Amino acid sequence: MIPYDLSAPVLFFPVRHHSPVCSWQLLRAAEEYRPEIILIEGPEDASGLIPVLTGEGTELPAAIYYFYKDKKKLISEEEEDYRCYYPFQYSSPEYNAMKAAEKLGIEARFIDLPYCEILINTEGGKGLRREEGQSYSDDGRLTAGDYYKRLCEKTQVRSFDEFWEKYFEIAGLHMEPREFVRVMNTYCSLVRSGTSQRELEADGTLVRENCMAANIKAAMQQYSRVLVVTGGFHTPGLRELIKQDSIPQVKRHKIPEGCTGCFPAAYSYEAADALHGYSSGMKYPYFCDRVIKRLIKEKTPDGIYRDEALTLLIKTARAAAEQDIPVSVADVEAAHSLMTGLASLRGMRECGMAEAVDAVTSAYIKGEKNVSSSVPLDILRKLATGDGVGRIGDKAHTPPLIADFEKQCALFKLKHDTAVPQELECGLFTGTKGLKLSRFLHRMDFLGTGFCICEKGPDLHGSTDRSRVREIWKYKRTPAVDAFLIDRTTDGFTIEEACTNIASKRMQTRDRLADAAHTAVDCFLMGISIDGEREQLLRTAASDGDFFSVGEALEHFRTLYELKKLYEYEDSLMLPLLASCFDKLTLILPLMACVPDDRADRLCSVMKQLFALTDTLLTDRRGMFTQSLLELTEQPQKHPAVYGAAMGLLCAIEPDIQKDAEAVMRGYLNGTLPVRKQGAEYLKGLFSTARDIVFSQNDFLLMTDELLTSMSKDDFMEILPPLRLAFSYFTPQEIAETAENIARLYSTDSDSLLYGEVIDEELFAFGQKLDREIMKELGR
Amino acid sequence: MEQFIKPPVEVRYSEELALLAANDKGKKPVSWKLSPAAVRTFIIGGEVATPEGKVKISRKFYGNDALVERAVITLAGSRGLMLVGEPGTAKTMLSELLSAACCGVSTNTVQGTAGTTEDMIKYSWNYAMLLSKGPCREALVPSPLLIGMEKGIFARFEEITRTPAEIQDSLISVMSDQILVIPELGDEGLVLARPGFNIIGTANTRDKGVNEMSGALKRRFNFETVEPVRDVRLEKQIIVREAEELAAAGHIDCPVDPDVAELLAVTYHELREGVTAEGTVVEKPAAVMSTAEAVSVFFQALCHAWYYGSGRIEPAVLTEGLLGAVCKENKDDLGKLRGYFKTAAKEKSKAGELWKAYIDSAKELK
Repeated sequence: MIPYDLSAPVLFFPVRHHSPVCSWQLLRAAEEYRPEIILIEGPEDASGLIPVLTGEGTELPAAIYYFYKDKKKLISEEEEDYRCYYPFQYSSPEYNAMKAAEKLGIEARFIDLPYCEILINTEGGKGLRREEGQSYSDDGRLTAGDYYKRLCEKTQVRSFDEFWEKYFEIAGLHMEPREFVRVMNTYCSLVRSGTSQRELEADGTLVRENCMAANIKAAMQQYSRVLVVTGGFHTPGLRELIKQDSIPQVKRHKIPEGCTGCFPAAYSYEAADALHGYSSGMKYPYFCDRVIKRLIKEKTPDGIYRDEALTLLIKTARAAAEQDIPVSVADVEAAHSLMTGLASLRGMRECGMAEAVDAVTSAYIKGEKNVSSSVPLDILRKLATGDGVGRIGDKAHTPPLIADFEKQCALFKLKHDTAVPQELECGLFTGTKGLKLSRFLHRMDFLGTGFCICEKGPDLHGSTDRSRVREIWKYKRTPAVDAFLIDRTTDGFTIEEACTNIASKRMQTRDRLADAAHTAVDCFLMGISIDGEREQLLRTAASDGDFFSVGEALEHFRTLYELKKLYEYEDSLMLPLLASCFDKLTLILPLMACVPDDRADRLCSVMKQLFALTDTLLTDRRGMFTQSLLELTEQPQKHPAVYGAAMGLLCAIEPDIQKDAEAVMRGYLNGTLPVRKQGAEYLKGLFSTARDIVFSQNDFLLMTDELLTSMSKDDFMEILPPLRLAFSYFTPQEIAETAENIARLYSTDSDSLLYGEVIDEELFAFGQKLDREIMKELGR
Repeated sequence: MEQFIKPPVEVRYSEELALLAANDKGKKPVSWKLSPAAVRTFIIGGEVATPEGKVKISRKFYGNDALVERAVITLAGSRGLMLVGEPGTAKTMLSELLSAACCGVSTNTVQGTAGTTEDMIKYSWNYAMLLSKGPCREALVPSPLLIGMEKGIFARFEEITRTPAEIQDSLISVMSDQILVIPELGDEGLVLARPGFNIIGTANTRDKGVNEMSGALKRRFNFETVEPVRDVRLEKQIIVREAEELAAAGHIDCPVDPDVAELLAVTYHELREGVTAEGTVVEKPAAVMSTAEAVSVFFQALCHAWYYGSGRIEPAVLTEGLLGAVCKENKDDLGKLRGYFKTAAKEKSKAGELWKAYIDSAKELK
């Protein structure tokens, strides 16, 4: 058994991460033992961040963020990037150990291997290399094996969390540190005894303990009273190791600069919760923090759990009432009495979270417990988990991007100290900050931080909703936002700089002009000029041989050119780019006459774009475009829709060509049945670019009528889809006008054409009956 | 005890109750026969320390132990206990166990039906005596509720949601004020509830749409949802234990085959969950697939084996019983049952001869 000897040169204090009772007993042990140094389980290269974490301006939860980029392939051939957090909250024993050292005026030091070395010494899929191994303070080990399951059965509790709360968190508060350490050591030693050496080696435990033991021994050379605070699972191993004369040395690797590092970062209660999926720490972190804060303040554990659980019940009732779930004072009283009664029945001094959950289940949920009726339970869990986000006080250690992010959040009054999702309406052109705020949010979105998402607003990438003048954003700060910002530190020291550099890199690596134009739209939204990319973009425009890629880029550049004044966007590059795209497209256009069916519509759309440009921005290129269209119509093989669209545009440029367009249509009409079917496609293309042709003269209507009446029902059904599309270019008023024209041809009125005759109900029933009788007779 | 088909819980487990009472050192709520801790041990099993050593108490309710604890503490307080859940989830049994352990009586019961009237809940009269003596205490016929109030014991209200809502609401004043007024008796007509009185209601979630409880009445109860047993091993255990007890009561000296019980437990579990152990999705029947139904099917097959067969349960008989239990509410359930056997046949025919025979017997499903 591991002794708790206050006269020994080293005192091991086993803890469970984030446990209030461990923190409370640790603080008492530190008072009793009066160490000269406190050694804490944590990567040794982060020791310099201890004063930052305990500094005045720092608010928990906070974390140390570690990253490692395996450029030297020390872990695997994949050159993967790794990252993890070491979270701290007020109930974390490690944090309280640092605070105790500060209070005693002694040094606190981390003693574990650096993050990268742990990874190198861990087998794939184990320890910190597990997929969910993003938390350094993983204490899943406490529930390894069947030992704890048997304990739960024996003690008639439902889960390890309930067992821990009953026998450690609540009962442990009333023990002396000596007794508490004994109980902790017993539990942890028994759990460890069920773990094989092979497993310990595979997940890096042994090598880490070698490092920690070597650091403890080194400290013992220098100091006569050393307090060691580590996860309870490691304590038996460390104790054995320091008895040995020599400890196996751990090889350290030379890691290139910039490939590994650690930063202090804000963390959230939501992420600190054990239910979050990292299997680290404890459930209900906010509740744990409330408990330890009161323990430290009141210096006595009596009644703290009971009071805090009652406070939660009251808050839950209030929050439920806000959601129209009636919870009365009588319900709160019933829940309180149930909670205390359960604690008594379960042999506990005070009720804890397990009892609070039971009380809400029984007294607040009216009726069958199911997903919809369990809202009060969800509220309770949410309240106990907390939604706060911490803050790092000493900005000297704050990564520059995070510092800039916080500065911008403060400037725009964005709530960044809560994990509760926020919604924001941003008027783009109202006030002085509208556009700036939008640009900041677009920058955060561009960086891929996950901080915000635009729910509504103009979609310039898709060229839709351009007329919207407001954006609706949802945003939420999570530890992942900080992690992404830290990862992007190499791209720049401000968010704007990082975005500029990333955008520039993207434009330089894109071969397709459409992709580069997509990034240009991003820059436009972020308010970042692309003038510096002139050479690169023009080069890409010249080298991209994909007609549709250049067509898409043309559309983007045109949108940006049209909106740049409204968006106060500095630019001198859009017009040259538009001209470059235009020239390239008109050059290739004749060769595109025979596109596959699935691309014909897109081609027609590009042709319309080109035509529109010759009408506005590039009027000097009208002749060039006309020539290109004529060349297209002269191609021996043409897609009928493209042909139609080209003829439509030519009609718009030169009205005399309308006769030719009619002649082409006649050609389709006089052809064989498959050719006639193509007539529908031709009409579709024609109407897409020149729908007014229908209204100027009746000839096209007559031809369309001729086309339709010459077909059998089956053939008509076959051409119906393209025909429907052709007429979709008309407005309802134009369709009504067309119907009137057709009606005149047949000497009738448009209503009877559009809506048909209403059949008498009785007549219809009679017809049906007749049908049935006939079928019956035929079936005999 | 053997001359009754189903002796009350307090009779059936009289020895255990006496043992627990004799060795109960815990604090008891007023009028309770046992302390909450002893009630818990009686229901979910455990050990009791006697001067002669530790004696084992059998587990009677399988499922959520915390629910039992909450139920016990609720009953020790001022609120009633409402047990809700699917049919066949042992709500009534739990209610009986709680009444027997806390008050020593489990038979003080109102059975809720569509025809339940306020008289049945509060009080009625012996009309011959009423005509002869006028309204007096002798002529009064107390309801279980009134008996509970006067004696300080629990009144059980079975299937409360099958009772019309306005009739259910007659409980409100009793539960709020713990008083029942009998105006016909004048000054003597005020009945005050004695300590220990409480109400345990049970409600079937399939009936709740028929007569939804009023909010006012809901507020006077703590609700507990009793879930079906979701552990196949546990369900098998329950089938075996219940079948053995039923067989002993019926003098059926036929061995209970745990493998056959497992077969049935697996079938019920998979049909209830809509997925087989191998992960294949199966259609859930509309019928209630409760453990109580499984016990009934198993015991039926056991009786058949004892009276008509070789003393061993034949899979074909089990399948017939299953057909009768599953296909009674919805005609589509037969197709779903056939579908299950077809699916199971693919996956489980390699599991042994018993499964093979069971699946083969499903050909007769019509």
